[in-house]
Amino acid sequence: MTNSEIMTIHQALFIVMALAVLGSAIFVVTTSNLFRAALMLILTFFGIAGLFVLLDIGLFAVAQVLIYIGAISILIIFAVMLTRGMQGMVPRNSQAVAAAVTAGIIFAVLLLLFGPFRVTVDVARWPVFSLFAGNASPRDVGGIAWTPPNQPIPAMPETYIADFGRSLVDGNQYLLPFLLIAFLVDVVLAGAIFIARQRRPAEIIEDRRRQAEEAAEEAEAMRQAGMTPDVAPLPEGAVASTAEH
Amino acid sequence: MQNLLNGIPLWWYLVVSAALFCIGLYAVLARKNAIALLMGVELMLNAANINLLAFWRYLTPASSGGLAFAAFVLVIAAAEAAVGLALIVSVYRITRSIDPEKLDQMKL
Repeated sequence: MTNSEIMTIHQALFIVMALAVLGSAIFVVTTSNLFRAALMLILTFFGIAGLFVLLDIGLFAVAQVLIYIGAISILIIFAVMLTRGMQGMVPRNSQAVAAAVTAGIIFAVLLLLFGPFRVTVDVARWPVFSLFAGNASPRDVGGIAWTPPNQPIPAMPETYIADFGRSLVDGNQYLLPFLLIAFLVDVVLAGAIFIARQRRPAEIIEDRRRQAEEAAEEAEAMRQAGMTPDVAPLPEGAVASTAEH
Repeated sequence: MQNLLNGIPLWWYLVVSAALFCIGLYAVLARKNAIALLMGVELMLNAANINLLAFWRYLTPASSGGLAFAAFVLVIAAAEAAVGLALIVSVYRITRSIDPEKLDQMKL
């Protein structure tokens, strides 16, 4: 900051939260112990909830704690424990260095675009830069395309939660996405239960037996159809019996 | 001089969320464990959410568009985690491995 005589309490809190978020996120992606990674992921989510509090959006801080910490983290911990034996393996593959370089380059570009820095670029020589910052001066790129209009931050309405709730059921605003997403969650929950369903061994054996029977039946029907090609309904009956299951 | 909310300029949030996004991207590209990969996706979705809410608060707090889209991101993240983890557990039962590089049975 340019005029940093002393840090306000909010700034100090922001820095603490940001360091907690980024430090625990780095731990999550580097550790080989998945269980610890899941626990540090909770700390990351908690820090993000703190950032939402600093934005004055208490609603989303609470939603973050309920959904991410309360639901998704528990889901991840359960998955970690159900796939025990995958612990302690090499945490990264052979492309780790390339991945780190890629992520670093993307971060550098984002920092250039969103950060406080100004980099002088000769647009006449690299015209591609004018795509990022159309309103930039010819030799100046970086932190320009996104700069908010020079007006004070609008006050947040007191009733922002009520407005938000009304906009979700307003046919002129977000009613259709809201219904679609409700349908998506419905389908997803049913699908997740179906995919992860534990099948009993007896059930699997029964399934295989039925499949073998069907295959034998079909082969028999084919053989009979081949021997007596003028009998039409026989293959159809075989098809109907397979479609039953 | 930039506008401050609680003494914090907007770009602080943007830089934190960019860093979080890149950390998640690294996890998705480099981890050898499908669950760790999903954790990276969660980090990236969270970074997107920070951006959405920060821009909403600093620029257009009077309309509720930013909140609505952040809520949709939240719901989709939950759905993605549920399906992804169900798939991982199911794959682990069959192949006894959750290394994404080893899951190539469907390759031609």
